[in-house]
Amino acid sequence: MNFKNLSLIVITLLMVMVLSFSAAAQDTLVVNTYTSDPAPRKAMKELVAQYEEMNPDVDVELNITAHEDFKQAIRVWLTSDNPPDVFSWFAGNRAGYFVDRGLVMDITDVWEEENFYEKFPKAFQSISVYDGKAYFLPHNYYWWSVFYRESIFEEYGLEEPQTWDEFLEVGETLKENGITPFAIGTKFRWTAAAFFDYFDMRINGAKFHKDLMAGKIPFTDDRVADVFEKWKYLIENDYFIENAAAYSWQEALQFLNSGDAAMYLMGQFILDATSEEVSKDLDFFRFPIIDKEVPVAEDLPTDGFMIPKKAPHPELAKDFIAFLGSVEGQRLFAEDLGRLVTNKNMDAEVYDGLTLKGREMIDNTDELAQFYDRDMDPELADKTMDSLMAFWYAPENYRNIMEEMEAHRQNFIND
Amino acid sequence: MKRKYIPWAFLSIPLTFYSIWVIGPTIYTMYLSLTEWDGMTAPEFQGIDNYLKLFNDPIFYTSLVNNIKWLVIFMAIPVVVGLFLAILLSKEIKWARGYKAAIYSPMILAPVVIGLIWSWIYQPQGGLLNNTLTYIGLEGLTRGWLSNPNTALYAVIGAAVWRHTGYVMLLFLSGLTAISPTVIEASRIDGASAWQRFRYIILPLLKPTTVIVIVITMIQSLRAFDFVSMMTRGGPFNSTNVLAHYMYTEAFKNYNMGYGASIAVVLFAIMFIFIVMYLRQIRKGELE
Repeated sequence: MNFKNLSLIVITLLMVMVLSFSAAAQDTLVVNTYTSDPAPRKAMKELVAQYEEMNPDVDVELNITAHEDFKQAIRVWLTSDNPPDVFSWFAGNRAGYFVDRGLVMDITDVWEEENFYEKFPKAFQSISVYDGKAYFLPHNYYWWSVFYRESIFEEYGLEEPQTWDEFLEVGETLKENGITPFAIGTKFRWTAAAFFDYFDMRINGAKFHKDLMAGKIPFTDDRVADVFEKWKYLIENDYFIENAAAYSWQEALQFLNSGDAAMYLMGQFILDATSEEVSKDLDFFRFPIIDKEVPVAEDLPTDGFMIPKKAPHPELAKDFIAFLGSVEGQRLFAEDLGRLVTNKNMDAEVYDGLTLKGREMIDNTDELAQFYDRDMDPELADKTMDSLMAFWYAPENYRNIMEEMEAHRQNFIND
Repeated sequence: MKRKYIPWAFLSIPLTFYSIWVIGPTIYTMYLSLTEWDGMTAPEFQGIDNYLKLFNDPIFYTSLVNNIKWLVIFMAIPVVVGLFLAILLSKEIKWARGYKAAIYSPMILAPVVIGLIWSWIYQPQGGLLNNTLTYIGLEGLTRGWLSNPNTALYAVIGAAVWRHTGYVMLLFLSGLTAISPTVIEASRIDGASAWQRFRYIILPLLKPTTVIVIVITMIQSLRAFDFVSMMTRGGPFNSTNVLAHYMYTEAFKNYNMGYGASIAVVLFAIMFIFIVMYLRQIRKGELE
């Protein structure tokens, strides 16, 4: 490369830098989100466009980052002097983490002005309000359940099972006909954690489950052994596709698409990820009841928004947050994504059939949890999910697995 | 007098950058390894606690053993095969250029791309490897290569070997061209067999290249990260974890920056031995 070329490149780079600096200096509301899958990405963009239309003098800069990268970057943003004004985040342990460290802004005034205490179901206060102050705006949530191919169930005359015995009958019929009951891709582990959640909530109840997730109960407790016993039965009796650990959750969808597997324990977002044809053929049922005495609990991961403590435009940010809590600010997520939204005043007509069914299921639910790695300390969740994978590989060793998980819990307590 | 300072004047700029971006962070990492730090609040000094924890950590040992397995396989396969290919292709063979280019070509692909390609090859359903095995009647051997903890590490290393072999071949090829043809000619006239020629003429003359190849291979296998991160993320349950990847998980996933730093320091100490060997060989070459 000669000198002339080099100086040309340097000048271009300098110009790009100067230009980007001057762009950043303009007053704009910066919103960072992790809505990176195609459907949520589109909905988020449209939502921002809607807000800009309502507020012509405000310019919103929307930055969408993939989930995992977002989780890394947010820590840098929150401690930097130039954080975004609003960011999307997960309810539960992960929101509490930032609240504890004083990195997010108190938005109690927005909650009071907009009367979100009345507009949102009460359950959402417990995940948004810490020590009497609101920090989190719960926006939308989805339910977990067993999604299944309607056409396969019809073909073999199967009904949605309510109880564990009914469920096992369904499983046996499917297997007799050469169909694997469950599709699952455990490469990234959390799909397996869903089974732990559900067995624990169905056998031991939400109270025990929450304490276990919070690290208050040893993993060597015999009640945890019951969870592994039930789960082991499914693994050893070929209820899951082979080599599940080789697939991401999306890759494992191929088995559901091809009809080689009939069911998938998954969040509502499975409907975004399948082709329209398969998506139309999907229905769901509540994870079967194992013990009738135990109050019914469901995983209901909630996504929402927060404002960093050092947000450059707190007033604009609060206005945007107020919008996100309104019916208008939630309609797109309900209508286009089929998510359930937090504002009770949302008219039921916007929900499609499955979402209505989901809402009905939740109305008949006694207790709510977020999800394994949202309820648990992130590091403890990360370590114990490895144990769950080891269990999957050699289920007969579950006592050792419980010891291993307990060792991780001890480290967590001592830290 | 003036002359003495001129080299320093030229060196000052790169040295400044080097201190800021390499030496500084290295020393800072060493300091961090003595602290507890979540990456957000201020680091808290706590002495050698991280190292004590590290030496009682089963995942640390799994990762270290995996690094050693990686090293052994890397020494055995790419080095030997690379040397063999180099000698073969340095001969007047038809299409030699084409073969060289083909064998070297994985090297120009980013490791991430290679990781992705091999993940597809290893797919249990419809993957090239399992399909091929089924096609040639070895269906019993098919399995989930990356999901089975007994095969996953070797499957990952396999992808890395594929990339590294071409690189080794190229290094040996350049070493071979440096050997004067007159020496080979002389041995031929003296009636040396092909094996004798290889054992007593070519191999000793290749020694400087061999040392460099071995050290580079060692460093490559110790700093293994990209393939693991791309293909398995250390899973299933840490069976493919290596030190560099474990360090990354601890520091940037679990936010134990101090603990991650202590893994980095241990890895650095191991690598340092090989780097010193490498530098010595290079200096020796220069003195000759």
